[in-house]
Amino acid sequence: MGKSFIRELFQAQQIDISNREQLFEAFVQEEENLHRVKQILENQQFLMDRWQLKSRLADIQQQTVVIPNATMGKIYEARLDFQQLNWTDFTTFTITGLDAVGLQFDSATSVISGTPTQNGDWRIKLSYRLQGESEETPLHEKLVPLIINPDPRSLWKNISSDSTAPFWREDNVATSAVLGDKRLVVASRRGRSHANTGGFRDDDFAFRHFPDTGWTVLAVSDGAGSAPLAREGARMACAHIVAYFEQHFTNAALAPFDTLLAEHAANPSEKTEKQLTRFVYDQLGKAAFTTHKKIAEFAHSQQVPVKDFHATLIFALLKKYPCGYVIMSFGVGDCPIGLLNKDLSAITLMNRLDVGEFGGGTRFITMPEIFKSDTFATRFGFKLVPDFSYLMLMTDGIYDPKFEVEANLEKVSAWKALLADLGGDNKENAIVELDTYPPAVAQQLSDWMDFWSPGNHDDRTLMIIS
Amino acid sequence: MRRLPVYLLLDTSGSMSGEPIEAVKNGVQVMISSLRQNPQAIETAFISVITFDSTARQAVPLTDLSSFQVPDIRASGTTAMGEALQLLASCIDREVAQTTTERKGDWKPLVFIMTDGIPTDNWQSGLAAYKQRKTAYTVACAAGNGADSAVLKQVTNNVVRLDTADSHSISKFFAWVTASIGVSSTKIEHSGKELAGLDELPPPPAELNIVV
Repeated sequence: MGKSFIRELFQAQQIDISNREQLFEAFVQEEENLHRVKQILENQQFLMDRWQLKSRLADIQQQTVVIPNATMGKIYEARLDFQQLNWTDFTTFTITGLDAVGLQFDSATSVISGTPTQNGDWRIKLSYRLQGESEETPLHEKLVPLIINPDPRSLWKNISSDSTAPFWREDNVATSAVLGDKRLVVASRRGRSHANTGGFRDDDFAFRHFPDTGWTVLAVSDGAGSAPLAREGARMACAHIVAYFEQHFTNAALAPFDTLLAEHAANPSEKTEKQLTRFVYDQLGKAAFTTHKKIAEFAHSQQVPVKDFHATLIFALLKKYPCGYVIMSFGVGDCPIGLLNKDLSAITLMNRLDVGEFGGGTRFITMPEIFKSDTFATRFGFKLVPDFSYLMLMTDGIYDPKFEVEANLEKVSAWKALLADLGGDNKENAIVELDTYPPAVAQQLSDWMDFWSPGNHDDRTLMIIS
Repeated sequence: MRRLPVYLLLDTSGSMSGEPIEAVKNGVQVMISSLRQNPQAIETAFISVITFDSTARQAVPLTDLSSFQVPDIRASGTTAMGEALQLLASCIDREVAQTTTERKGDWKPLVFIMTDGIPTDNWQSGLAAYKQRKTAYTVACAAGNGADSAVLKQVTNNVVRLDTADSHSISKFFAWVTASIGVSSTKIEHSGKELAGLDELPPPPAELNIVV
């Protein structure tokens, strides 16, 4: 070993030993010289090992270590796969910085787990030692990013709307009432997107039961997000509808209708059907147009464009006759009126929704063109049913998260799912006791309506007659 | 839930190496951190990063903000912008859900392109593929003197220019992209409508000149 090393050394240095073989043999036997060779070899090995270690450490420092992002308050678990990370040469390994954010590292399983308590872009410190390093070697350190997302819910601010602003509306309202032999519960909540900026609730509703005639009028409106005074548009739309029927649906005025209905119930024909349709078209059409005119006049008196009051409108009239319940309806915009039959086996959509090909293709009661359009006649609904289980009026704040698309409104299964949801089949365990109808039912509905649905933070209004 | 897809097309050609590429990486990092604090964006915005140098690749598939991790971006090679547009078109086809009668699809994607050079590939076929896809809007940024805004004008009407591709200007561009994504996610949440063009976006900073 020593001999060949020295020979190669001399050769490399072009030291000629060809005529001094004997002397060279003696030279390579000398203890001192062999010792020097051994030292050189050891030093070489030392340098190589040291280089390899440094190079390995540099690799580790440069290595991208991806730790999945965590979310505040959400149970987290991520395993560090030492095989895959190529860290099988680690002898000691610890992580610091996890405690501060509510996480722990289990070295037996290599799992980071816990429920994060602090959001932010953190850097956690990995400390390690490699094979071949002595116990006294200080630990090496590597910083690795760990992102903890905020809980999306915590990002939504709840700023009260300015109660001194013109046309201010209370952020959340709910009420219940008895309408003859049916019961009503309704709630309207300001959406998170409005609450986040201190905006107003643009949804509204109104209803009135007239004991003299037995009629009930129900109205729900959704002010357009882009209209600055939509809240007042929605309020006026509902209020004018109620006022219209209060004035016009008198017993005297309805005597011909009552006769017609009795005739239709006893002997339904194409003729009576047509006459009823005509009545609905005339009466509800006039009510809608009167409402439109009143809002337009008000806008004019305030010297603001009527589009500033843009609002959708759905309304229904309900009365119990000996032959059954009469329900008439009108709708403009994208809010549905659904009528569920007694045994929950069929759903009747009382109105056609204005849903454009592109989002925002809706129509408003404040648009004069809707009254001239040849589709105006399709906005009305009429039903005579022996009984029903639920009549519901809702804004898109409910319809979007609960039905998603128009096609689902036609499915009785989707309505049954909504009823189950109202009955407590939801993550929040919110229950609306529609069957027992306790005094707190309005508050229950309002609480239920605070449900969490990502991407759906519009104002929500739901009116249920059962 | 309807997602708001956002595609970032980033030039990683050799000329971007050094300060510009570091600024781009930092810009993406800051953008993601900031959008995570926006309640509408964290729920709806999904981000994808497509880089292009001698070839184009999708460095990050369309990913929600909560899970997004900034990719390791390095600069080298030429400027295959045509391939990037082609890739964008196929990513949109694959990743963006269409609206059907059964479900609401995703919102139309937002596209931000940033380049400091001119396409070195045969880019007309990529441009044609991109033009067939629907986006809410596409903004192209010509960074520095090497970029040709006339080329970008063929991609989109919304072209902005940075006089220099230094870290300050690039960070300003990303701050504006961040604000634009924020405004877009708020707008769709609020009114159910998508933004259509530059005039509806937040006013760009002084470093960003609108190319008319």
